[in-house]
Amino acid sequence: MPTGSSLPSPMALSRSSPSSSMFKKQQSTPQMSSAASYLSALSQADARARGSRSPTPTATPALSFSSSVTTSTEDTVLNEQEIDNDDGLALPMRAPTSEQVFSTIHTEYGHCSEEAYRYTSQHPQGTVLPEHVEQDPPYYILLSTYISYLLLIILGHCRDFFGKRLHPQYYKHLMPHDGYAPLNSDFDSFYTRRLKLRIDDCFSQPITGVAGRTIQLIDRYSTDFNYTQKFTGGHTRALNISSYNYLGFAQARGGCADVVEESLKRYGVTTCGSRLEGGSSDIHQVAEALVADFVGQEDALISSMGFATNSTVIPALVNRGCLVISDELNHASIRFGVRLSGASVRMFKHNDMNSLESLLREVISQGQPKTHRPWKKILLIVEGLYSMEGTLVNLPVIMQLKKKYKFNLFVDEAHSVGALGPNGRGVANYFGIDPRSIDILMGTFTKSFGAAGGYISGSKTLIDRLRVRGYSGAYAEAMTPPVLTQIIASMASIMGVKPPSTPRAIEDDTYRYPGPMPSSSLPQWVSLPPALTSGLEGRDRLRRLAFNSRYLHTGLVKLGFITYGHPASPIVPLLLFNPGKMNIFHRMMKDRKTPIIVVVVAYPATPLVTSRVRFCVSASHTKEDIDIVLKACDEIGDVLDLKNGIPRSERWPLEEVCARAVELANIDPSVEH
Amino acid sequence: MTSTYSNTPLEPVFSHVSEAVLSAERAFYKLPGSAIIERYVRSSHQNDPGRTVLEIILFLLVVRTLLQSRTRADRNAKSFIEFSEKEIDELVDEWTPEPLARPLDEVEQHELDATHVVVGPSGPKPKLASTGKTALNLASQNFTNLAGNETIKEEAIKALRKYGVGSCGPAGFYGTVDVHLDLERDIAEFLGTEAAILYSQGFSTITSVIPAFCKRGDIIVADRAVSFPIQKGMQISRSTIRWFDHNDLKSLEDVLIQIEKDRKKRRGPLTRRFIVTEGIFEKDGSMVDLPKLVELKTKYKYRLILDESYSFGTVGRTGRGLTELYNVPAKKIEMLVGSVAIGLCAGGGFCAGTEFVVEHQRINGAGFVYSASMPPLLAVSGSKAIDILKNTPSLLEGLHDNVRAARAILDKVDGINIPSHPASPMIHIQLKSPGASSGGGLHPSAALVMPTKPSNPSSILPREASTWDWDVQNEELILQEVVEEALAQGVMITKSRRARGQELVEVRPSLRLSMTAGLTKKETEKAVGVVKAALQKVLSRRRV
Ligand SMILES: Cc1ncc(COP(=O)(O)O)c(C=O)c1O
Repeated sequence: MPTGSSLPSPMALSRSSPSSSMFKKQQSTPQMSSAASYLSALSQADARARGSRSPTPTATPALSFSSSVTTSTEDTVLNEQEIDNDDGLALPMRAPTSEQVFSTIHTEYGHCSEEAYRYTSQHPQGTVLPEHVEQDPPYYILLSTYISYLLLIILGHCRDFFGKRLHPQYYKHLMPHDGYAPLNSDFDSFYTRRLKLRIDDCFSQPITGVAGRTIQLIDRYSTDFNYTQKFTGGHTRALNISSYNYLGFAQARGGCADVVEESLKRYGVTTCGSRLEGGSSDIHQVAEALVADFVGQEDALISSMGFATNSTVIPALVNRGCLVISDELNHASIRFGVRLSGASVRMFKHNDMNSLESLLREVISQGQPKTHRPWKKILLIVEGLYSMEGTLVNLPVIMQLKKKYKFNLFVDEAHSVGALGPNGRGVANYFGIDPRSIDILMGTFTKSFGAAGGYISGSKTLIDRLRVRGYSGAYAEAMTPPVLTQIIASMASIMGVKPPSTPRAIEDDTYRYPGPMPSSSLPQWVSLPPALTSGLEGRDRLRRLAFNSRYLHTGLVKLGFITYGHPASPIVPLLLFNPGKMNIFHRMMKDRKTPIIVVVVAYPATPLVTSRVRFCVSASHTKEDIDIVLKACDEIGDVLDLKNGIPRSERWPLEEVCARAVELANIDPSVEH
Repeated sequence: MTSTYSNTPLEPVFSHVSEAVLSAERAFYKLPGSAIIERYVRSSHQNDPGRTVLEIILFLLVVRTLLQSRTRADRNAKSFIEFSEKEIDELVDEWTPEPLARPLDEVEQHELDATHVVVGPSGPKPKLASTGKTALNLASQNFTNLAGNETIKEEAIKALRKYGVGSCGPAGFYGTVDVHLDLERDIAEFLGTEAAILYSQGFSTITSVIPAFCKRGDIIVADRAVSFPIQKGMQISRSTIRWFDHNDLKSLEDVLIQIEKDRKKRRGPLTRRFIVTEGIFEKDGSMVDLPKLVELKTKYKYRLILDESYSFGTVGRTGRGLTELYNVPAKKIEMLVGSVAIGLCAGGGFCAGTEFVVEHQRINGAGFVYSASMPPLLAVSGSKAIDILKNTPSLLEGLHDNVRAARAILDKVDGINIPSHPASPMIHIQLKSPGASSGGGLHPSAALVMPTKPSNPSSILPREASTWDWDVQNEELILQEVVEEALAQGVMITKSRRARGQELVEVRPSLRLSMTAGLTKKETEKAVGVVKAALQKVLSRRRV
């Protein structure tokens, strides 16, 4: 329904070369190509809104906080000298009505005021989390995938064999020379040289500006089969469905950025040194208290890097004689930390609670290897939301097991904090579980909060112990003030700030999870606009993210694709299987009239046969953006034969998917599957 | 002959077996490609019947390993005990884990509470939360005083308005922002290397760099006093580690010769070999003799991983670090690691080296691949800081003047030992043991006065470790008193904080003074004077 004429023409199949991408843009005459036409559309919409109310949902009243926003519409849209809307990304599909005033820049955080496109992320009480079934593709796909790999490997070995004899100079760095062993042997680097290099144009493309709803790619091309990349000097704006910008806080404008600017003026860029050696400042303490309140724990500790939060804290929790039980798909930082700790490790099948329970029974009854002494501690480490699968941890069952088997529980909420739960407080919030019944909640600020670094939260005893015993406190640099401020501002705007109560009503000032925070927890100089302190915008972000996630996920399923993960997850993996389809998919998405950038992942990040595209949905996307992604997938899926999911008869055509988006998003997964 | 008779009762069995074999054979030949396999087996069998057996065993082994999943229980282990479900339930009921964390004891709690907290911006004279007053700051690592620099602030704000705060992705997935590439290029140009790579935390940089290159079976020769993150990096790498005496290049050479001898004897293959050490040591502020080190590593064909976290941005005419100080081209160092957080007062760390070394890390550096890239505004601040350092040699001059002034005062104080190099802007102060003539601990002179047998390279403990007579807890207490005494007089200093019990070898407690160009020479003298007085006061109180 809302798609149609403004959507891009069929994609170009050809590989993007610098020349074609430079000239491609000139031909099309899109709906709104200049600022002037945008403004006229705006006034038309205005007139329309004043006159008869159209039956489309556009006519619903604007967001309630709009009246409090003073920024003019021009400021939020016309941020660039001359708007180039060839790609249909710079301006909203539908011009806003006069009541709709947006305080964000559309390219960073999309304008969408349609109340129907909202959803609350919450586990339906009383239901069990549906078991995740990995859908298998037809056999010919599996077979061709294996054959592809086989071919690639054989071809690679042939090239190595002949290459070493014909062009020894290219292999010099892989061979012992001048008495030095090679830094990287030909065997160790085989995968990188012979498989990954072929699709290197999918990775590490530099960008500029904010990684928000859209992203500015720095155009590049390779003339030597990806050995080197050359920059064309041009930029391309693309729809960004790849960054971990779940709540859309990657913004250079707006209330949060304003506070960060203020903090840069006050605090400068750094606090110089580690937390225990003179690098602590009052704003660290504010942020830590706020994080503890946010996740609902007693205390929290902040570290300047998310990866290091795991790798420096786990060794302080467990050591020799302790056992770590780890999901087989846990993140590299967890494995790094466990290896540093010296504790024994056992893995269980991804999110498989039966496998976990039988492992628990085995390890507790057997005790330590050889000696059979009981384990000192058993720490179960799981992630809240798995970044490659989109699966949600089965927390309700784990909590039951925890009661029975008395292990300690560590949940890495890197991707789930902010992104899940009716109040955005993560998986515990999503399932309605008391966060304090979980020993340790870890998370990162790189994702939902648009900042950097990580936190670890738990009881006060535990966190104080980690302050002195974790590696970060003594050795690692403290988090910098601008990053801390971004965390404070974004968290505060999700929680909402309770206006200061009268001095007498002290007990009213205490914080109750997951309610709004008392204003006394914020430093005086932090002044957030009313839309943020009221918590309305934060709530809107949560609900937009939940809608977009569910819509994209169920939409792809209805179109016939194989996806993994839970519909509530903002990470939506679409299975490609065949390694050769990865870069084609990537390129076809990028070469569309509305370029879309995607992340493709393959072995070793995933099992060998399940190469995939990973979409990361954001609250900054509008429903129309998701339509664009679905349309692109639909077209490319036909070309690349990716629709191997539900049978043809059950599929919906694209138009129907887009038109019935709200209905799709409301499908209850525990009933559906 | 007897067998023919005994065969009769088994006849039906045999016929069954042969029938089954036949039908299996027929099914096998129906498979496409079976002819090739058959020919292969026949011909190989003809050549060497034993080989067929071997191949079958090999094939079964492969199948077994393939079927064995990573997560399967290890039930075949010798020590596995079979329990009934009921017994397991009982064992589960009986098991009581230790508490996850022990509460802090009184001393630990006191130290945590005494941690300096700055109110407002950090700098040479910050305001402290505990006293509510400003203090002269010799604790924070703000060597060239870039922390409060207005130009950097302005650049950072501009960057904020263009890039936002977080990068929202790892470098591989649209987290590489143009300003990251700019800073990498700036660092490489500044040092004179081909390329550089950024990590988002200084501490995690070397911990990732080492295992990116050093694997099981490789050899690392390391200084006995390398910093904690280096120890952790080596632990992850699982390489074979040999130790040489702290900052003693003679000992290094001995170890290198010994390793070569061993290799010749065992005729082992050529493995990757690395020397890992620091420019200015985090643990005591001593400085490595870089020209000699480079000579040795070239002679014995080792690669050098040099951690310049504390020397980059603090020594040399414009802060390029040891390579500038000793006039050694940075290209001679294979992996030069430094800290953007310490040296450039922004955040993160870097590793500079050849194009190959850098590109290798973009795929193999765990902290690079699996972590979001650093916030763009920090990268911009780093670039600006390099720009300032390059163009304002007076910053470094001021710092070095202050270092000299401080040492002039401290070197005369009795009862303490300063293992740091005279040019090191980080000055460690250790207590002298009452009886001992030498400083003990990590002081290199300790090794020099004992011309006995060398230490065992496989152990991190040096030979003279048996003579160490200091008591960590006691000295920590004394130094904490000094810290508090100095604070009462308006000077902020700190002990070297450590993860006690987790370093490979206990480190002698020390005070760590960080000089800064942000204080004038007068102010530095005043502040160091206060430290001196505090030391004397506490030490004299202790003696009586
Ligand atoms: C589960 C998990 N933990 C930790 C991290 C590391 O976080 P950061 O990128 O902030 O270093 C990630 C990031 O990808 C992650 O997915």
